[in-house]
Amino acid sequence: MKLEVRDLRKSFGGNEVLHGISFSVESGNALGLLGRNGAGKTTTIRILMNVFKGNAGSVLLDGKSFDPAKHQIGYMPEERGLYPKKTVSEQLIYLGMLRGLSAKKAKENMKKWLAKMEVSEYENRKLETLSKGNQQKVQLAQTLITDPKIIILDEPFSGLDPVNSQILKDVISEQIQQGKLVIFSSHQMSYVEEFCQQIAILNHGDVVLSGELKEIKREFGRDRLVVSSLEETPEELAHRLRDTFADLLEVEKVQKDRLIIRKKASDAKLKILERLVEQDVDLEFFGMYEPSLNDIFVEKAGDEA
Amino acid sequence: MKKFWTILRFELNNYFKSKGFLTVTVLLTLVLMGVIIVPTMVPGLLGDDKVSESSTDSGEQADTLGICVKTDQITDVDSLLSGMWANWETYQDESSLKKAVKDQDVQAGFILNSLSDVSYVVNNKELYDSYQDAFVSTLEAYETQQYLMAKGLSEEEIVSAENININVTTDILGKDSASNYGYTYILVFLVYFLIIFYGQMIATSVTSEKSNRAIEILVTSVDSNSLIFGKVLAGALAGLVQALVILGGSFGAYAAVKEKWGGILDPLFDIPARVFVAYAFFAIASYLLYAFLFGALGALVSKTEDISKVSGPVTMLYVISFLAAIFGMNDCDGLMIKVASFIPFTSGNAMFIRVAMGSVAAWEIILSGGLLVASCVLAGVLAAKLFRYGTLHYGNPLKITTALKNMKM
Repeated sequence: MKLEVRDLRKSFGGNEVLHGISFSVESGNALGLLGRNGAGKTTTIRILMNVFKGNAGSVLLDGKSFDPAKHQIGYMPEERGLYPKKTVSEQLIYLGMLRGLSAKKAKENMKKWLAKMEVSEYENRKLETLSKGNQQKVQLAQTLITDPKIIILDEPFSGLDPVNSQILKDVISEQIQQGKLVIFSSHQMSYVEEFCQQIAILNHGDVVLSGELKEIKREFGRDRLVVSSLEETPEELAHRLRDTFADLLEVEKVQKDRLIIRKKASDAKLKILERLVEQDVDLEFFGMYEPSLNDIFVEKAGDEA
Repeated sequence: MKKFWTILRFELNNYFKSKGFLTVTVLLTLVLMGVIIVPTMVPGLLGDDKVSESSTDSGEQADTLGICVKTDQITDVDSLLSGMWANWETYQDESSLKKAVKDQDVQAGFILNSLSDVSYVVNNKELYDSYQDAFVSTLEAYETQQYLMAKGLSEEEIVSAENININVTTDILGKDSASNYGYTYILVFLVYFLIIFYGQMIATSVTSEKSNRAIEILVTSVDSNSLIFGKVLAGALAGLVQALVILGGSFGAYAAVKEKWGGILDPLFDIPARVFVAYAFFAIASYLLYAFLFGALGALVSKTEDISKVSGPVTMLYVISFLAAIFGMNDCDGLMIKVASFIPFTSGNAMFIRVAMGSVAAWEIILSGGLLVASCVLAGVLAAKLFRYGTLHYGNPLKITTALKNMKM
């Protein structure tokens, strides 16, 4: 399956908040929808789920118009809540049945998912008596109770402690391996980096960057090198490079313990290394720059805000 | 459709499993059954040895009243006072009479200024104060008697002229409003309670998912029409079940001990089938209409505590309908009730009253019923649209005008 979002636009009260969002994702892959608060992640997901309609653009599944009501979708909204006064099992079975399961199957799956989320012991407790993290796990069990082929999670990690985050990560990874199509939004880059093959960064209603995460990282790191010296501080080293290496490189960033430089020609790497050796710089590190998703995000969705 | 039943069952369970619902149903049923059955088990309270005491005058103590006669037009004061049953205290002047009234030596007093001019003295005039009227009638009777006697009639002749016995037999061809009044009143009240109690509960249940934020999961799992219809109908059904259990208990109890009551409660329980069918139809239809209106209100707010803010107008509408019906019962072929019986918001009560107590043509019942059912459907559609529109609206209650404008009907 391939889910494609094409040129989505949405206005609220004359104010356009999505200016043509496009991305696509296939089964067995996870797409991370990244963006700062108010970037349009939730609005995009809500249009995808037909909670409301976009003003323009389309959502296609395998080339045909996508109607979420006709597919099993595990959707965990950002505004999440269940019935606080009902027992965990009661509401999971009810919601499972609403989403088309038989009573028997709903009960079976309820037990299975509560076990996976390690919250089986709360099966017959009222939801309101559970801690927030455990309630969130019940939420996720609810989302996956129908074993959906498409899983859409809006900020699934918010409010989870590291241990619970790990459980959630394991579950999502397993789903991806089983060939499910996963879309989730987050502003916690480390989680996205771990299991997203694809990302789309949203900023102020525009997709500012999208594609394969590996590609993006490679592209982003191209022509950039990292260098540090044992004797000189990054500032001193930067000074030296600006004075004597200006024909080969520019200093892009002075970090706490290293420099990020951009070579001026694609074959300049060796020349730079040679000159560093000539000048007797006591090299600590010299290599390709590999950006973290965080670096990319800050650059794309950061200051120009 | 399958999902609708799932929702209906889930929502009904919410009611049936709630302790409040069970307690109220069981308690009310038992209390009513008790009221009907217990008196029949207390010997001497009903039927058997009737007329245990001829509970008229003799037992009671006569009131003490004061009188001050300031005119000599009245020749026979004793004869005048004997016309009104009271212990009379005579006072010579106004001020001593007023003092006696003030000190509560007498309950009230009269000052006779002339034959046609009486002052009534009383401390606190109560709502049902009847001394004044009684005294005026007594005075009138006295004057008539004096007049007739002056014309030469003897006292006996006057008495026999006054006591003419006329025998009246009633032959009711249409409806006996007097005996229909009892059950009509109770049945109208029953709908009143159903709508006022369950209206709020229905609105609350519609709002609850917005309040607990489960709404987004629900509207992406199931179509919103199933959702709102399931919720509203579940509330309506729960109310009906409760009413049926309570009514059934009472009727059952009465059927069992009917003999012992000797027909005293027939005005409450002996409801003709025709009236009951009309009641069932109009009561249920107008109950549903209001249920949908309350459901629509629930769709406008996002927190259950805001419901009271918006439910006022609909509650008011029903209270007006109820009052119109209660007043209309005294004039059940009047213009007001006729008009009311065709307006869907009021026709539930009004048409039922006309069927039970007045005269009404078949086409009128059908037209009114049709209008009511159509409004029910409209209210349902409106509620569903508002619900879908208000799904993700959090914060202050939506204004109905804004909602209607924005949702493109």
